[in-house]
Amino acid sequence: MEVFAARCPWYLAGPVLGLCVVGMLWATNRPLGATGGFIDLVAWLRSPSSTPRWTVAFLMGVVLGGLLSGLAAGRLALDPGFAFFDQRFGTTLGTRALLLLGAGGLMGFGVHTAGGCTSGHGICGTSLGSPASWVATATFMATAMLAAAASTWIMGARP
Amino acid sequence: MKANLATLFFGAAFGFTLGWARLAEPETIYRMLRLMEPDVFLIMGSAIATATIGTRLLRRGKARTWTGGEPVTWRTVAPGRHHVAGSVLFGLGWSIACTCPGPAAVQIGRGEISGLFTGAGLLIGIAIRDATRAVSPVRAAPAQELPAVGL
Repeated sequence: MEVFAARCPWYLAGPVLGLCVVGMLWATNRPLGATGGFIDLVAWLRSPSSTPRWTVAFLMGVVLGGLLSGLAAGRLALDPGFAFFDQRFGTTLGTRALLLLGAGGLMGFGVHTAGGCTSGHGICGTSLGSPASWVATATFMATAMLAAAASTWIMGARP
Repeated sequence: MKANLATLFFGAAFGFTLGWARLAEPETIYRMLRLMEPDVFLIMGSAIATATIGTRLLRRGKARTWTGGEPVTWRTVAPGRHHVAGSVLFGLGWSIACTCPGPAAVQIGRGEISGLFTGAGLLIGIAIRDATRAVSPVRAAPAQELPAVGL
C-alpha cells in the first residue's frame, strides 16, 4: 500500500508511539519497553519449563508489528537496510555479522545494567517522569552521538 | 491472558510504527546521531509529550486497567551509577549497529536477517550481565509491586 511504503511523517509517528505507552499503561498498568523482553527471553531460554514473563509478549508484538509494516509497505526483502551499514564499515555479510554481534553484546550488557533502552527509558520512563530514565537517555544519546562522530572521523567520512 | 493480548497488541502497534517511520533502518539512526535527521528528534519529542499528557490524565482520572481493574499507577526511580555506566555501553553499541533493541525486533519481523545478529548479540550480552551478578535486582522485584520505571 502506497501510504505505508512512504515514510510515516513525524507528527503521526511520534504521537502514535506515545499513545502506545498510554494505551499499554491504561490496559495493563505495565510500562512499555523492548529491553525487558530480551532479558526475560534469556531467563526463559535458561528454564524453558517456566512461563515467560509478559515482556516477552510485548517483544513478540514488536516482531509482529515489524512483519506487518513490511507487508503493508510491500518491502519484505532481505537486508536492504544494511547496504548503508556495509558502506559505512566496509563490511560484507560475514564481517557485518561479527560487528553486529559485538555491538549487540555491548548493548545487551548495557541495557540490562541500565534497566532500559531507547523505548523503556527514552520514551516511556521519561514520559512517566522518572529521573533515572532522563539520566539514562541523556547518557546514551550523548555517548552514541560522540561515538558515531568519532568513528566517522577515524575511518574517514565514508557515508 | 487479556493483559498479555493487550500487551501483544501494543507491541505490534509500536513495532509497526517504528517500521513505518523507518526507525528500523540503520541509515536513519546514523543520520540522527550525526544531527542530520531532525525527524527522529521530532518523533521522540512528540512521543514523550503525548505520553506525558496521556499518562497524567490517567493518573488524575484515577484510571483502572481495562484488563484487570487495578489502579493505574507507577513509581519513579532516582538515578544511580548503573544507569550511567550501562547507558554508556549501550550508546557505544548503538553507535555501531545504529539499531537499538526495539528496532532490532522490527528488523527481524521485516525479514532483515541481519537483525538476528543484533538480536543474538543482545541475548549474549544480557546473559553475560546475568552471569556477572548472582541475583539481578531487576528480576528480583516482587511480582505484585508497582511497575517501577527506570530500574
